[in-house]
Amino acid sequence: MMRGFSFGSYVPGTSPVHKLDARAKLLLGCAFIVITLNARSFLALIPVALFVVGTYALARIPAGKALRSLAPLLFIVVIASIMNLFVVQGGPVYFEWAFIRVSEQGVFTCLLIACRLLLMMAGMSLVTLTTMTLDLTEAFERLLSPFARIGVPAHEIGMIMGIALRFMPQFATEFSSIREAQLARGAGLKTSPLRGVQMLSSLMTPLFTSVFRHAETLSAAMEARCYHGKEGRTRLHPLSLAPRDGVACALVGVLLACVIAVNILL
Amino acid sequence: MTGKPLPEEPVDNSAPASAEVPIICMRDVSFTYDGEAFALSGASVQIERGEFVCILGGNGSGKSTLAKHLNALLVPDKGQVEVCGMDTSEREHTYAIRQSAGMVFQNPDDQLVASIVEDDVAFGPENLGVPTAELRQRVTQRLEDVGLSGFEKHETHALSGGQKQRVAIAGALAMNPEILILDEASAMLDPRGRKGLMRVVRSLNNQGMTVVMITHFMEEAALADRVIVLDEGKVARVGTPQKVLVDVDALSALNLEVPFAAELSQALRRAGVPVIAAVTEEALAESVFSVFSSHAAAASSAHENAAPQGPSGGKTLTEKASASPFAPKASTAAGATECAKFPASPAASTDGDVLIWLENVSFTYDAAEARRQRKAGKKPAPKQAKWGNSPEALWALDNVSLKVRNGEFLGIAGHTGSGKSTLIQHMNGILHPTSGRVVAFGSDIAEKGAANDVRGRVGVVFQYPENQLFAATVAEDVAFGPRNLGLSEEEVSKRVERSLRTVGLNPEEIAARSPFELSGGQQRRVAFAGVLAMEPEVLVLDEPAAGLDPKARKSFLDMVARLHEEGLTVVMVSHNMDDLANLCDRVAVMSEGKLLMEGAPAEVFTRAAELTSVGLATTSPEHFANLLREGGLPMPHEGLATEDSIVAYLRGLI
Repeated sequence: MMRGFSFGSYVPGTSPVHKLDARAKLLLGCAFIVITLNARSFLALIPVALFVVGTYALARIPAGKALRSLAPLLFIVVIASIMNLFVVQGGPVYFEWAFIRVSEQGVFTCLLIACRLLLMMAGMSLVTLTTMTLDLTEAFERLLSPFARIGVPAHEIGMIMGIALRFMPQFATEFSSIREAQLARGAGLKTSPLRGVQMLSSLMTPLFTSVFRHAETLSAAMEARCYHGKEGRTRLHPLSLAPRDGVACALVGVLLACVIAVNILL
Repeated sequence: MTGKPLPEEPVDNSAPASAEVPIICMRDVSFTYDGEAFALSGASVQIERGEFVCILGGNGSGKSTLAKHLNALLVPDKGQVEVCGMDTSEREHTYAIRQSAGMVFQNPDDQLVASIVEDDVAFGPENLGVPTAELRQRVTQRLEDVGLSGFEKHETHALSGGQKQRVAIAGALAMNPEILILDEASAMLDPRGRKGLMRVVRSLNNQGMTVVMITHFMEEAALADRVIVLDEGKVARVGTPQKVLVDVDALSALNLEVPFAAELSQALRRAGVPVIAAVTEEALAESVFSVFSSHAAAASSAHENAAPQGPSGGKTLTEKASASPFAPKASTAAGATECAKFPASPAASTDGDVLIWLENVSFTYDAAEARRQRKAGKKPAPKQAKWGNSPEALWALDNVSLKVRNGEFLGIAGHTGSGKSTLIQHMNGILHPTSGRVVAFGSDIAEKGAANDVRGRVGVVFQYPENQLFAATVAEDVAFGPRNLGLSEEEVSKRVERSLRTVGLNPEEIAARSPFELSGGQQRRVAFAGVLAMEPEVLVLDEPAAGLDPKARKSFLDMVARLHEEGLTVVMVSHNMDDLANLCDRVAVMSEGKLLMEGAPAEVFTRAAELTSVGLATTSPEHFANLLREGGLPMPHEGLATEDSIVAYLRGLI
């Protein structure tokens, strides 16, 4: 029954990167993506790559773990870069067959996009590798809170994200036990598209029933523990900005300057 | 962080005046969910400060509804509930009441809010606005109270059921309540988890915590200061366990049963052994010793003169006992404790009638990791005992060989995470062994098409099968299996009707209804019918009676026994050793993915020490017989002790 299922790829640690405020990490992650998108040449990507390698080293994330966390997203990189390979045209043509044409510009863009996407993902996944999911949702909630005044339910969104993450492994287990029970009753002996749809509905009905049942007890359990929304709530792990967050911002600022400089000068 | 912190601990703990006032006072409380049927109708309950009260009752007797009134999750329609002097119907007290009366629910899986243990424990006090420094202190303290120090950073979903419930208790305790309410908190746990939970609860009670515990387990109720039995929303009985739990007839009319010790003490008294009406085995054993101490003193003084041969004294007693009418079986169908089916596999040694044969089966959910370790020449990592069912444990099954023979009733015991569930999933080809092989009905399950064939012949009823109902009507749901077998509509409807009747439901009445509007017990029967409708040759049951009240569980197990008598081969996983001993021809015990023992109940359950060492126990009668043996009454080891054999032995001593 117990299947290894671990959501989020958090790697425990005490490095300076781990200790950064989750809000700062989230925002700097976004800034990093923008910077990477603005690097227009391979040369401009060099400081970005150095930055990524440097921060991973600082966070003491083993290379194997870092690469494995990227693996599931590789297909996006492949698809995006292949699309560019055929769509972007210009310069000498290397290969032509029927409507397919590969030109120099296409190859250049394809490689650039692939590198850029890889670096972007590496940067973002460093954020999830070094931040507990609960801190991330809390950071998300706090970043949204200025919008609470215009009616954005920041606290509720954060709470929903937290609970969703908490129940993800639970539903994965339940889904597999429902599937197994139906396999045991001979489901999937004959396969046809219609059968497939029926199978899906017979799987989803008990899962949804169970979602609602869990929702009912969970809300009772939360009420029993005096949950009444955000008002007057304290936190076991309050988010607090420290000097190191400023240093991190400065470093990302330097990265931005480098990229811009390379873009302009070369 | 500022905001308006809720009034923390508004109740003056030290007020001496309140000592006489009951901490919980319910007066004539009535409550209905739908405006028609009353879940509570005129229940009055008083609970004193520092008491340990168990609330008992069959399914639907209003126990959980009552519990929810104690912390203002529900407010009475009629009547009044006062908790720590506060009326629950007054809104301004709601949070103060919930803070004073911490509650733990039944299902370990849906009351934890956070993914990480410490965040979950902190959830309650966070809501109360407790400052961060104190939060940390409370989390540390409360995790220590429930024996989970060091688990702060663990993920909640990776804990065992018992550990999850203890996290939930820590979460309730972190609000510094005065009352702890447990709403069937032990119902879904294995014996080991239940024992751990009970130990925590009792030590809290010893430190002065008022405990209100709702339970189906009479052995737990026997440890309470006071027992309240509910029936149809009213209080049917109140009193000490020694008074309430010994009344066999009254309790069975309330869908309950008496604990084994009470049943045995009654049988002993009927047989003329003057013991007290005890409710715990320890108390009964004490009473037995005091009855026989005069007797034994007389006997031993006689023997002391003879020689310092202690054993010979024992022997006399033994001979006496074996001379007494010692009918191990057949004579009494006393239900609960008729068991000593000794050497039960006479003809079974021939392999011709083996239906399912697991041969050196190992299985891991993480095949890639296993390959990596094998390549690296490493042995499978040793399992960490502390974690018990650690999900990191690589091998769910470790070189297990087991045969299921035609017509037998095979029991499988083992605590949660010992590999029982994985084992039965191999029996019908849902899982394929990582190494080793499974041969079912003469063909290797790994062969093409064999697994599908086996699934039609081996029916598996998983744990809590009612959670897997899905169709719009009962008939549709039951028909799912037969349709998958490709039977004609005529045959399908015939089978649906037949299997519904087999499980004791009336097809005319129930077939067209939605399974979701049935009661929990009926839903389980429908799910069971869905497997029977495939007319399997082997029926595999995973904890078929879990979570049912005593009466429902008995009728469910009777049904299984009847199916077996009609010729079905049955494999049953259970935590309840008494059930296994009563029903099975053969028992296999799993521990840490390995097959620990295998044999007739009389062989397996007489190895009490080994069973205890892997977190299991022996049967109640055997356990009691061992208490007698340890206390100096050397009851002979003639197969497995039964209620009758104990009575016969002790009567023989008089």
